[in-house]
Order: sequence, then structure tokens, then C-alpha cells
Amino acid sequence: MSEITIQVKFFGAFRKFGDSLNFSVPSGSTVAAAKTVIQKMLDGEKLVLDSVLSSHCTILQDNDILENDAELSILPPVCGG
Amino acid sequence: MEPSSICARISSKPLNIQDAYDFVSDPAHGAVDVFIGAVRNHHEGQSVQGITYDVHEDLAKKTFEDICAEARKKWGGLKIYMAHYMGQLDVGGISVIIAVSSAHRVESFESCRYIIEELKKRSPIWKQEHYEHGLSQWLPGHSLRVAQQ
Repeated sequence: MSEITIQVKFFGAFRKFGDSLNFSVPSGSTVAAAKTVIQKMLDGEKLVLDSVLSSHCTILQDNDILENDAELSILPPVCGG
Repeated sequence: MEPSSICARISSKPLNIQDAYDFVSDPAHGAVDVFIGAVRNHHEGQSVQGITYDVHEDLAKKTFEDICAEARKKWGGLKIYMAHYMGQLDVGGISVIIAVSSAHRVESFESCRYIIEELKKRSPIWKQEHYEHGLSQWLPGHSLRVAQQ
């Protein structure tokens, strides 16, 4: 199974980790699996559990499949206004 | 939907109340309701010096457009201006402006309240409060895991 490269941009409280994170997962991995990788790379950061991944204009569901290289964002709980 | 019925913006320039009023002003509309959010100088007992707003611009703009479209579907005939600031503001700075016009006041009041409440729950925007002595913290909020269910 081929590997794909994911870049995840950080927002809000994730900014303490920098601007972004790059990692590889097998093509066909779920969004939930990608989040598990992210959490592991961020030393078990619990905020990942309450966060979602998104593409440029769409929030991804945990069971969505990642088939190709992608630029995503991880969005912690929001508080605008 | 007429393209001119919704204006959804993320801006790193100061928000302007007159811009909001000018956009929603309509000779057929006898009511304009405006909500303005500003930076407060206190939060849970702490003295706040300012707030930095972090925004996922593309997704926030799409979320604004979705919320406005929902409001127009629920109340009909609205003109809506929805703008949020991105960057750092001092106390008193305007972080958000929502203006809604309609033929009569009930639709404007109700839809304006709906829009700000949905913005707070669904828009990818985050606040970092700045306190005395250089301390800061990102505020907790609404998980989008809930919003998408």
C-alpha cells in the first residue's frame, strides 16, 4: 500500500506547536487514524480528541478516507465573536 | 438568492459600522438590527489587555455564507452583513459586526441573534486573551465535532 504525505496546519491553541506538521500514512487511512498519528507526534496532546480535520472548505468526518497527498488543518474548539 | 443579499467577510482591517449599514440598507426594508462585538477588559476575574483572533479564512467565510443562507431560508427577504476581525485588538476594538435588514423588525431581531449564536458555535475562529505581565491564553470553546453531528 502506498504512502501519502499529509501536511496539517495549526490554528488557535495548536499554534504552540508551530505552523504545521508533516507526516505520512498509508493511502486509504481514515481521518481518525490520521488524528491518532497527530496526537502521537504532539506528545499525546488531548486537545486533538476534541478537534476536527478540515480541507480548505470542508470539515472532515472521522471515517472519511485519505487517498492522496493533502493539505489539511486541525481545528480546535472554536470561540469567535 | 440574489448575490447582493449577503456580504460575508474576514478582515484584518478595522471593521466599519457604516459599511455594514450601507450594505443592508434597502428602501423596501423598514428595520435594521446591528450586533457589534467588542473586546472586554475583563474575563473571569482577570484584567484583559487585548485579544488576538486566529481565523481559518476560507472555512470561516464559507461558514458565514452557510449561516446567512440558513437565516434567509428561515426568515426570508433579509439582507445580511457579517464580518469578523482577524489579528490583534485592544480593549474596545470591534471584533464582529452583524447587520440584518428586513421589511419588519421581528425578522431582523430574531435572525441577527441566530447568526451570532451560530457564528460562535460553528465558525473556525479562536481567541487568545492577553493579560497583565505578558501572560496569554487561548480560550476554550465549542468543539466542531459536535457541530458536524
